[in-house]
Amino acid sequence: MSRRSYLIRRALQAFVSLFIIATLLFFLFRAGLPDPTTALLAEGLSPEQREMVRRSFGLDQPLWQQYLLFLQNAVQGDFGFSFHYRAPVADIIWERLGNTMVLMLTAITIAYVIGVPLGAWLSWRRGTRADTTGIFVGLMFRSAPMFWTGMIGILVFGVMLGFLPTSGMRTLPYTATGFFDKIFTLDFLWHLALPAMIVALYYLGSPLLIMRNTMLEVYGEDFIEMARAKGLPERRILYNHAARNALLPVVTQLAVTIGLAAGGQVVVEVVFSWPGLGREILNAVRTSDFPLAQASFLVMAAFVITLNLLVDILYSTLDPRVSFK
Amino acid sequence: MLLRKNILGLVATTTLVAAMATGALAQERVPAINIDTTTEAYDPIRYEAAYIIAEKWRELGLEVNVRPTEFSTLLGKFYDQQDFDAAIVGWSGRIDRLDPHFYLGTLDSRATSLGANNPGGYSNPKVDELFDAQAREFDTEARRDLVHELQETYVPDAPVIVLFYRDEVVAYNNTAFGEMNAMAGEGLYSEWTPMQAQPLTDRKTLRIGGPQEPDNLNPLASTSVWGWKWMRLYYDRLVRLTPDVEPMNWMAASVEAVDETTIDVTLREGLTFHDGEPVTAEDVAFTFGYYQAQDYAYFDAYLAPVDTVEATGDLTVRFNLKTPSASFANIALSQIPILPKHIWEAIENPGDLTPEQIPTVGSGPFKYASYNRGEIMSLEKNADHFQADDIAVDGVEFVIYADMEGVFTALQTQAIDMTAWRMEAGQIPLAESADHLSVVSVPDFGYYHMTYNTRRAPFDDVAVRRALTKAMDRERMVNVLLDGRGEVGTSVIAPVNAFWHNPFVETFDFDMEAAKAELEEAGYSWDSEGRLVK
Repeated sequence: MSRRSYLIRRALQAFVSLFIIATLLFFLFRAGLPDPTTALLAEGLSPEQREMVRRSFGLDQPLWQQYLLFLQNAVQGDFGFSFHYRAPVADIIWERLGNTMVLMLTAITIAYVIGVPLGAWLSWRRGTRADTTGIFVGLMFRSAPMFWTGMIGILVFGVMLGFLPTSGMRTLPYTATGFFDKIFTLDFLWHLALPAMIVALYYLGSPLLIMRNTMLEVYGEDFIEMARAKGLPERRILYNHAARNALLPVVTQLAVTIGLAAGGQVVVEVVFSWPGLGREILNAVRTSDFPLAQASFLVMAAFVITLNLLVDILYSTLDPRVSFK
Repeated sequence: MLLRKNILGLVATTTLVAAMATGALAQERVPAINIDTTTEAYDPIRYEAAYIIAEKWRELGLEVNVRPTEFSTLLGKFYDQQDFDAAIVGWSGRIDRLDPHFYLGTLDSRATSLGANNPGGYSNPKVDELFDAQAREFDTEARRDLVHELQETYVPDAPVIVLFYRDEVVAYNNTAFGEMNAMAGEGLYSEWTPMQAQPLTDRKTLRIGGPQEPDNLNPLASTSVWGWKWMRLYYDRLVRLTPDVEPMNWMAASVEAVDETTIDVTLREGLTFHDGEPVTAEDVAFTFGYYQAQDYAYFDAYLAPVDTVEATGDLTVRFNLKTPSASFANIALSQIPILPKHIWEAIENPGDLTPEQIPTVGSGPFKYASYNRGEIMSLEKNADHFQADDIAVDGVEFVIYADMEGVFTALQTQAIDMTAWRMEAGQIPLAESADHLSVVSVPDFGYYHMTYNTRRAPFDDVAVRRALTKAMDRERMVNVLLDGRGEVGTSVIAPVNAFWHNPFVETFDFDMEAAKAELEEAGYSWDSEGRLVK
């Protein structure tokens, strides 16, 4: 099969998956979450008043009509109006997704840039004290709950030492409005440092251990033996021959990680009051904000699907033996 | 003959004995009770309270299950389906609820339909009658007597048990601002704090931090108290309620009741909107008409008594009411913001405005400056406001955090000056030990309550409701769950609301013996396994 027809088929598959996911989300939220006007009970609104609000949300229409309208609008990239915020869902999601991705991509980049070479190096020093310590540290941060490491981080760097901000994305008062105005400032980086460090420490374990273990497997392969027999320096065998072959599982893991990153790390976003998508999704579900909840999950699904597609394509470049089937 | 008579007698006696035996067998166990409450994660206090209650009820020979339920689902089951035996929920103490009308309305038998505010189905004609009477009574003293009598009438029926009134414990940075006065039910985040606060440093912007974000800042769409707590700072009102909750003329120079259904309001002279346009009677009449026309549910209850509002001069407005309403001046005039007619009259569907399109022009003591969702909202002082000379801050900022933990850390690191919401129990001693923080505690008039479903056995029996109420150790809840920061509940009108609260209602002090006696008196007894039967 040619590369092109393979891509077309995969794209179609992705589209069908998204359609199914969108449909499931639409009905699941409506079946599983309480009525969105339930929260108004606490405000003392009467049943008639709540019916008024429900009407303004379009919830008085038959379900199938709501569904058709949803699909029709979604195809045009219009995800409707958030019940809670009374703002276009797309605006909210792009803004929050931006905040989340800056944090997550920074953290993931740090984790992989350090984790991959470090993992390779540990495998080379296997059995030594460095190896044991490395594995221990990687596993420790991987298993420690992030709200805990986050709180310790805040306590030490924010409260005790007082040189890193403990929450938010910038110092008061500020004027920047655009996304890039916001993120290309020293103040933003200063706010980003602590949460990004906490997330990076959490993610560090995966590339580190996967790289190390795959490297150990690769060492047993004939071509490494061959390279050694040719008298190549150990460093070159390690990084040019073994590492390249050990990279495949790491790339898969990276893609999955980035795919899931769109949903953010709710815990970190809460601990650091980072206005990201994860917190927003939690709020949307809590307030039964159907338009916002289904669009957020759809965006997450789109991320995972796209990243999977990318990995499949990347694979063939990294390992020419993988063919399009 | 004699023999036959004896046999008959024997048969009769046997039948009698058998009948008595059956009678005893017919004594049935009181059905098992489910207590619905919040999950521990949502609110550990209501969760623990349910277990404290269940423990003592079991001692009375009842089978009791505690069912922690996700909050929205709990509200849905309680209000919309009325599917509960006994449920622990709550009412927050919003300032307009200091007028007794709202809380008393939760006892009204005409509010027992699905979704309405009396889900327990309590029904007492005397209570309904008093409720209507107090709503019509304009003389405050006479109205108070009716409100007091209503409390005396409903409390012995024990339909809704106020578990406790909780103190609101908040804190502020005493090195940054002075003159920070907390208000009952509002804490420090009242409309008065920004107007009264005195900056002690060069930074004159008051920074408030809280975990709650407004749903939106559209004065015709926001349905949360957090939206209005902020918007009231830049949209002005005719009347504001003082920290002692007395109506105080604000934009209005005078409010006069011409008769029971006619109220004349005269505006102050020289009021202007933030865009420089003058505030006139036309704007007031327009605002009320606009709110009536727009189906904005949130203000519906306030506007219900209003028939028409007309401008009778440049600065005079007449309110024609449909029915006499004692609380109109306190509630409606102090809660409805005055919008500029020249901006809003062109907007047909205000509910569809995107955040960027919402006009933010008001006439309040502060002007809208900015809002970054999830991060911060800010206001600047309105130098043209009639109160401007008394306002010492030059602006207000509200920083939005994800949870109370974030708010408290910000208070510790002096990133904010005060908390908008009550602190968690563990944070209070930390705040007390910090030199730069002052802790303020004010009683709340909102309350957590246990509502019995009076349609279901055994709660259809007033004796059971009374006995089970006596078996609630509410003292222990206050001491253990609130760390002593609160007061045991009595009536739906809290003691802090001193004018309307009736201090002489039955108190249902914790007493297991009295509870048992009450049950025995009503014909209940205990079977061999100690289970309550009737």
